[in-house]
Amino acid sequence: MAPSLNEEPVGDDRRGFLGNATAVLLGALGLAVPAVAGIVTALNPLRQKSQAGQSIRLATLDVLPEDGTPRKFPVVADRTDAWNRFPNEPVGAVFLRRTGAKQVEAIHVVCPHAGCFVDYVAKEDEFLCPCHMAHFDLTGKRKDENSPSPRDLDTLEVEIRGDSEVWVKFQNFRTGTPDKVVEA
Amino acid sequence: MNGLIRWIDDRTGLMTSIEECRARPTTGGAGWLNVWPCTIMFTFVVQAVSGFFLWMLYSPSAQTAWESVYFIQHEVLGGWLLRALHHYSAQVLLVLVALYLIQMILTGAYRAPREFVFWVTVLIGLVVLGLMLTGDLLAWDQNSYWATQVRTKFLLLLPVVGDYLYKLAIGGPAFGHLTLTRFVALHIGLFTAAMGGLLVLHVWLARKASESKLNKSRARLQAPYWPNQALRSAVASALVMVVIVCLALSHGTSGESRGIELGAPANPADAYAAARPEWAFLGLYQFSNIFPGELKILPIFVFPSLLLAIVLFMPILGRLVVGHAFNILFMLVVLGGIVALSFMSVEHDRQNENYRQALKDGDAQARRAIQLAQAPAGIPVSGALTLLRNDAKTEGPKLFTQHCASCHDCCQTDEQGNKQGIVAEKSSAPNLFGFASREWVPGTLDPKKYVSPDYFGNTKFRKGDMVEYVKEMFEDMEEEDEAERMSMVIALSAEAGLTAQKAVDNRDKQRIAEGKDLMVDDFGCTDCHKFHAKGQLGDAPDLTGYGSREWLVGIIANPAHKRFYGEDNDRMPAYAESADQPADNVLTESQVGILADWLRGDWYEAK
Repeated sequence: MAPSLNEEPVGDDRRGFLGNATAVLLGALGLAVPAVAGIVTALNPLRQKSQAGQSIRLATLDVLPEDGTPRKFPVVADRTDAWNRFPNEPVGAVFLRRTGAKQVEAIHVVCPHAGCFVDYVAKEDEFLCPCHMAHFDLTGKRKDENSPSPRDLDTLEVEIRGDSEVWVKFQNFRTGTPDKVVEA
Repeated sequence: MNGLIRWIDDRTGLMTSIEECRARPTTGGAGWLNVWPCTIMFTFVVQAVSGFFLWMLYSPSAQTAWESVYFIQHEVLGGWLLRALHHYSAQVLLVLVALYLIQMILTGAYRAPREFVFWVTVLIGLVVLGLMLTGDLLAWDQNSYWATQVRTKFLLLLPVVGDYLYKLAIGGPAFGHLTLTRFVALHIGLFTAAMGGLLVLHVWLARKASESKLNKSRARLQAPYWPNQALRSAVASALVMVVIVCLALSHGTSGESRGIELGAPANPADAYAAARPEWAFLGLYQFSNIFPGELKILPIFVFPSLLLAIVLFMPILGRLVVGHAFNILFMLVVLGGIVALSFMSVEHDRQNENYRQALKDGDAQARRAIQLAQAPAGIPVSGALTLLRNDAKTEGPKLFTQHCASCHDCCQTDEQGNKQGIVAEKSSAPNLFGFASREWVPGTLDPKKYVSPDYFGNTKFRKGDMVEYVKEMFEDMEEEDEAERMSMVIALSAEAGLTAQKAVDNRDKQRIAEGKDLMVDDFGCTDCHKFHAKGQLGDAPDLTGYGSREWLVGIIANPAHKRFYGEDNDRMPAYAESADQPADNVLTESQVGILADWLRGDWYEAK
């Protein structure tokens, strides 16, 4: 005959505790399987690296004004987004500025403060970030005493190849930090 | 019937529960001030219902998010209203939670035994903010994309974990498909479930608290929930719905801007300068602007966390009379600060010309994107952004400004003498406004205009064979010659096949034929120029198909080609010289095509 449902469990407190602990542990272990499997996939982005860092041909010298007025050039590169690959897509932009017969300075358009794009304002001959009104001079130096930006605009490595090709090593930098750190 | 009800009640306890709910006494009796929890739950249900139907229409990926929202907004019957209801009920929900919290603090209802009710309500408020922040991005338009960029990048301010949190939040090193799939999961899954759970918990805790309060103050007469309180709550909920509907209809019921507007599709390569957070965050936005960059972590993380900590500590502090007074004062100061800062932010933007211009440009781009999406060609698989990128009306002026406007104007002069359009940095080449049209071509056969800055006055062609020729032929013209010259103008302009001149070109077929004959026979154009079967290349630009798309693409690609200026080319760079090495060219084939289309005024316009 089956034991009566009303029968009190035999045993002391310790057994009761062991029983409870086992039940909790078994339940937790069971739940942990899908939870861990899910969390592992959710952490996958940590393995992804930024794609920037390649040298890209942006312009030729003759299209850059000799008086040093900056010009904005879109950066076109292959881009991967999860399961898609996009060849030749605009991925950012760079200001190029002649500083000599064969010298060019490249400034990233992304404001180091919050990641907006700075504009060149011809009237003031400066760069202006429209999001929080940070002003920069043509070399990228902060003009405001209390600039919203934690550092000057980011310069990029420029290389003149052949006679007149302007190549730039395009990288994104972390925003919001006083130091210029390449985005990982 | 009664038997059926009894049976259901026996098995489920449903009727008994309902009866118990109706009879449950309310603390302090029925009152209008007790309606908040009910209206909050009601508004959340509105959110859930409208959200569910939006979900049925939404597709989260970088190429389909904006597109599916466009479809909801502009193609689906009543879709705009559904979207507006969802949007505005979210705003109303936040306001209701805030009012509920304010009332709790003012009346001291956050204190024992209702501490947990207060804490759960604060959590509800946080979840509502989470729902707003994740929901905002889903439209994937310029404002939501760039505002979320700024927001998520704030995570990078955090030491050590910042990098990891950022990548986890956006699903990789940069925004894309996975950002959307994540935000959807958080918005529809996690936060919605959390909201439901917290609301149930709130009811449970509120009952528990009122029971404990009732036990302590048995003497006071307590009115049952039904009917007085229930009716008040129902009326309040209905009023909330009226407010939501009014807000949803506040931009009219027709036209593109009805409901809640959809901006231009997110463009990762073109930051939106007018990106601003939603109204609830404007105060924080303005507050954070006070701080220099290095200290940004203070307004973004440290102060809000401190504020939250103080709010959560309020029930404990409120046990003292002084503490309660402090809580009220603190709340008023914070609220006043938020309102003042939000107002400052709006005022600041209103006076900011750059902001207003960016807003205007953004609106124009949004309208254009919608127009193109509604065009017969529709949205390609690659998404609506490609529509804009290949659109001559959108990209033409940008490309021209960037590549051509160092020398060429493309502008009209209005009656006041102001130049309207794109003005060159230093005009040193022909003004290309209306190039090859019947208004433009005459200048090439007018001795005065030919040497003016709008034509060849600033080029080396101000001296040369053509000027001599034009002077000789047209300096002292008879009236009869004028008609002949016009015939040639019409004939040459017809070579362009401009869309805008289609009708007049068709009408003037006869005259075009005459003009062609004049060019070849009487005026000897083909002595230097090639024109169809007559003349040859090498001395002067080919006039065959002059100003046509194909001709323009050719001259932009390489003006020094013998078909155009050959060795006589004056400073004009070749933009796509190399056909077999496209990577060497300044402009891509499609960019050159866009420039040609734009110069010819050839783009899609809604009928």
